[in-house]
Amino acid sequence: MKGPTAEAWMTDHVGRLYALVASVVVFLVAWAVVAAHPWAPRPAQDPRLVALAARQQRLQRESVLVKRIVDRRWAAYRSALTRRNAAAAKIAAHNSALGAMATASAAQPSVRVVNLPPLVVTRTS
Amino acid sequence: MERRSFRAMGTTIELMVEADDASAELDAGEAEFERLEQLMSRFRPDSELTRLNRDGRIVASAELVEVVSLAIAARERTDGAFDPTVHHAVVTAGYDRTFTELPEDAPDDRATAVCGGRVVVEGRRIALENGFAVDLGGIGKGFAAERVAERLALAGPCLVDAGGDIAVRGVPETGAWTIAVDDDLTLGIVAGGVATSGRDRRIWRRGGRERHHLIDPATGRPSETDLLRVTVIAPDAVEAEVLAKALFLGGSTAASATDVPAVLVTEDGRRLTTGGL
Repeated sequence: MKGPTAEAWMTDHVGRLYALVASVVVFLVAWAVVAAHPWAPRPAQDPRLVALAARQQRLQRESVLVKRIVDRRWAAYRSALTRRNAAAAKIAAHNSALGAMATASAAQPSVRVVNLPPLVVTRTS
Repeated sequence: MERRSFRAMGTTIELMVEADDASAELDAGEAEFERLEQLMSRFRPDSELTRLNRDGRIVASAELVEVVSLAIAARERTDGAFDPTVHHAVVTAGYDRTFTELPEDAPDDRATAVCGGRVVVEGRRIALENGFAVDLGGIGKGFAAERVAERLALAGPCLVDAGGDIAVRGVPETGAWTIAVDDDLTLGIVAGGVATSGRDRRIWRRGGRERHHLIDPATGRPSETDLLRVTVIAPDAVEAEVLAKALFLGGSTAASATDVPAVLVTEDGRRLTTGGL
């Protein structure tokens, strides 16, 4: 036999509304779970994608290595270039000095008094 | 060392080449002297220079244009001390034929001649101011020596001595070309040219008075300085010839003040050196 309290609760509209909403929520959740087919076996991953991903990772690793090598070689090249430029500047300065000496020697011929038998004699021509 | 000696340009030419066989180059050098003399001699009636002096204007060979241009440039560089238009002055002084044909003495019946005539060189055309003629005796042998030295150098280190005007190319095995200036002074050079100008040779008499071939363009007469002879060492034989004449005309005081390598001999026998010698 139902007491007055239980009857009052069963005829209460708010209670009914909560019960309805809860039922709807449970229904939707059950629907989503059934729709998701959690029991179905997961599809196997495409081997081409796997290979592609592996290749991408390998390329990334290799590109890092290549970048390191290129950076190292570039640094070596820059260093060698600096040394070569310095050497070239030194040679250019040397050549310039030689050119100046040649010009000077052309302007002032190399001559000295010697104690050797003469090959020829210069005289009034 | 191969040597060859022959007569050309009124003097003895000596060619030396340090090579095993330079006969072809020596032949070519000798031929070149003959060819250049045919262009530049004022004593040959059919030379190109004679034609220029006779006609006053000609279309000349490249070599005559070059040597006349060098002479004009030398006149400007020396403020007229070296002047190629001394021809009439030299003739007036009595040097009117080759030196070997000159009489030892003759009457002095000629007036002086003016120098400093205008010479215009345009391309291959050379034109002279009326009343003037060109004498390349002061530069021609040096020019020829340089030309022939350039040719001989194909065979090896060489020296060309055109009667005292000397051009060298290359360094001989001995380390230097040795050139005697006096009995007790020998110079060693490895490049450049040497020339001597003076009044100790090529002298003659007119009216009993001594004449020489070094004309002072300012007076039109044989120069009168206290120098007997000047030897100059310069970058080439042409420049050496020009400077030797310019220093000679300037006299010992002016000449000894220059920094040109030179040996000066005064008429009283003193020997002065300049230019670090």
